[in-house]
Amino acid sequence: MARRTTKSRNERRAKIVIATLYATGGLLALAMLALHESFPPISLWLAFAAAFAFFDWRSVEVNDRLMMSPTVMVALTAAVAFGPGYAALGVATMAALGAVSARDVKERRLFQPVANFGQLVVTASSASLVVEQFVGIARRGAPGAYWAWIALGSALAAAVYASVNYAFVAGAVRAVFGQTVKPWSHMSELLPSYLGMGFVGGLLGATLLQTRVVLPLVFVVFIIGYHEFASFGQLREAHAATLRGFVKALEAKDLYTRGHTERVAEFSVLCAQHMGFTGTRLERIEWAALIHDVGKLAVPRDLIRKPGKLSSEEYRELQRHAHVVEDILAEVEFLRPMVEIASAHHSNYDGSGYGGVGHIDGEEPSLEASILAVADAFDAMTSTRSYRMALSQSYAFTELRRNAGKQFHPEVVEHFIAAIGGTKRRYGSPFLHDPEEARRMAEARVESRG
Amino acid sequence: MTLKKRDVWPRQGWRAVGDPKVSIKSPLIPFVGALASVSIALLLYPHATTGFLTLGIWAVLLAESGLVKVPAGSGNRLSLAFIIGAAMPILLINGTQPDLASTGFVYAVGLLILGVARVIRGDGLEHVHADVLRLGVGVGVYAMTYAVIADILVTGGGLAWMEAPWDRLIAFVGAGAVWFIIEAGLWAVMTTRERGLSWRYLWLLGLGDWMVMLSMMATGALFGFSWEKLHIWAVLVAALPYGFAHVAFFRYLEAKKTYGQTIRALSRIPEVAGLALEGHSDRTSSLAVETAQDLGLSPSEVTDVRYAALMHDIGRITLNEPSILRRGFTDEDIARWGAEIVAESPYLAKVAGLVARQHEPYRRPGEQRDPSLPTASKIIKAASAYDHATMELGFSPLEGLEVLHRGAAYDYDPDVVVAVRRVLERRRVV
Repeated sequence: MARRTTKSRNERRAKIVIATLYATGGLLALAMLALHESFPPISLWLAFAAAFAFFDWRSVEVNDRLMMSPTVMVALTAAVAFGPGYAALGVATMAALGAVSARDVKERRLFQPVANFGQLVVTASSASLVVEQFVGIARRGAPGAYWAWIALGSALAAAVYASVNYAFVAGAVRAVFGQTVKPWSHMSELLPSYLGMGFVGGLLGATLLQTRVVLPLVFVVFIIGYHEFASFGQLREAHAATLRGFVKALEAKDLYTRGHTERVAEFSVLCAQHMGFTGTRLERIEWAALIHDVGKLAVPRDLIRKPGKLSSEEYRELQRHAHVVEDILAEVEFLRPMVEIASAHHSNYDGSGYGGVGHIDGEEPSLEASILAVADAFDAMTSTRSYRMALSQSYAFTELRRNAGKQFHPEVVEHFIAAIGGTKRRYGSPFLHDPEEARRMAEARVESRG
Repeated sequence: MTLKKRDVWPRQGWRAVGDPKVSIKSPLIPFVGALASVSIALLLYPHATTGFLTLGIWAVLLAESGLVKVPAGSGNRLSLAFIIGAAMPILLINGTQPDLASTGFVYAVGLLILGVARVIRGDGLEHVHADVLRLGVGVGVYAMTYAVIADILVTGGGLAWMEAPWDRLIAFVGAGAVWFIIEAGLWAVMTTRERGLSWRYLWLLGLGDWMVMLSMMATGALFGFSWEKLHIWAVLVAALPYGFAHVAFFRYLEAKKTYGQTIRALSRIPEVAGLALEGHSDRTSSLAVETAQDLGLSPSEVTDVRYAALMHDIGRITLNEPSILRRGFTDEDIARWGAEIVAESPYLAKVAGLVARQHEPYRRPGEQRDPSLPTASKIIKAASAYDHATMELGFSPLEGLEVLHRGAAYDYDPDVVVAVRRVLERRRVV
């Protein structure tokens, strides 16, 4: 996805406001706790503070700019182990120390650590206060119910930790970037782990109160928690690296494809977002767009760059090569759904096919494939080819609408036009509305050069 | 650095030639094993201080956990019995002393049930007794080591400087490490024939699974230590962390598999595009891997060789026709382009380095050999040339080998060529 490169003044102002607000909240919370609570035993506090800082420092990027670490587990273990009257102050000071992350230092950022300081302190102290209540109840209650109260308290504290944290992060993202945080891919997989870790953290803290000897094992469990997220990051990286590898190979083959692939991915994502796609489904269409032209890898370069339309013989040759590559690609398991989308995007909405290739099973292509088909056609019209200059955006829109219901999915076309129109950017030529003229201009350009 | 290993390891490098072969195919073994476990259980039971019902439940739990197996990076499959097995001597105590008799009884009965259950499940007799034997030796040594360390720490030489239960923790760490080393060793010896690799190589490979083992044993110990106070809640305290570990292993394996599949898919593209001979990268890779193992490269280096050999021609996809020289491109260009594609994933940075240098001669006229050139690159160069000579130019295997020998002045490292020869001799093609 495109990353912001220009920093607007508004963005900076919002950052200052948020950072001040969060940091003040954090300082206030610390001051209040310092008045009402006492500091836990220093050796135990040091051990947990070190673990908290270590794991926060090594947070894993599990999604675009979304960092996760098992700090929730460390915080709740510490909260139960410190006990009522100590927990909130102890854990809040731990969190205050762990606010800086490796990324902030590497990129010399100030906003993130200051805002993180505030949000982590408030998050940690509110979850710890929940823990304190329940540990108190558990101690006063019947011995038989002790563990049930601890378990309930840990589960609630984990939920509080996660939701307070989420509220702060979402608030900052909305204020600074003007975006709402959407469900990210694999959220349903990661969120339970996160909550489960908080829950286990509380139980581990209570175990620690019973038998001190498990302390080293508790730290091993923290490391296991870290690997839960790290493995996710690594799997994600393996998938991303695979895509980058194929895209790079394609670029090496044909440089024109580079810009094309990136733009088609961008258009597809814009359109899919407009249609309400989120999370894994959105990611899948972006990835499918990135590999939609990989079939060209096995096609002789002269054929890729051939000016003008291809003969049906040549087109069939192209299709044959593309299918061979798609078969190879489908051997990479996680790519299979993407390959399916990519290979379906050539077939038309109404079942007729370019070069006589219709639907194999008579079904209409999936929404994903339809989006990809529209994005691909739009970019083909609005970019310069060897035989034709780029056409205007309005011409491309008219052309898409004209073919809606025939070549393209009509609803997808409307969403696409609304999504691209909504970006306030203009693609293609500002004035060329006639394909004949665009062709003549390209010829003239070749002649003047040659 | 790697070539020197030949002085330490046998001349055959990592191939299983001349290694002891363990065969446990005798039909008597299951009966002997069953008899042994029944007699151990009967001998130990009178000394056990824990009730029969409790011991029976632990034994069933041990058997149950032994039925669930987790694949590890080495190819070994580790069962969850490591969790329950590790917890037993910690959990079964007589005052402050480990209750060895109860522990031994649980192990013997648990393994017997496990063996019977797996035979009923239809796992194949020789697999079952190999696995159960391995597990039995492992838990036996674990319990003994545990007891010895705990005893030394508490009473040894009148030192008595260690308070319970810290002595149990240290005993667990020491005994767990011993169990892991033995487990990996036994697995290596038992699979050396099947894999055709030296048990020493497999042992190193098996020791690479320490993360899996650590998380299983640590959750087992957590269970053992918290059982006394937490009882049934101890299950939750230990099971959830193990669950996280379990998910993490599968993701790591999945990531590894993705890299493998991606490399294979990429390596096939120049071939289907008609820019390289069909099957060239596969054949080069298998010859290079065997040569690397012959030269005693470490397991992770061998993996790099496999990947780099598969990818060595990937730079060719930029070409339009098979003849690279016609357009003024050289082997160096191909290698550089290929390395750039591979370098897109930081995980494969080493492989990219090998791909970049696989065209280089091991020494240039008037110079010494280049010490910075990795052995792996030299292996790939020789393997690729051999395949080119035999499959594309139509030479016989002996003539192909002769091409390498003739190029040994500059292009192909003589040590590598000799290793290739040994591999081909073992394949009985020359």
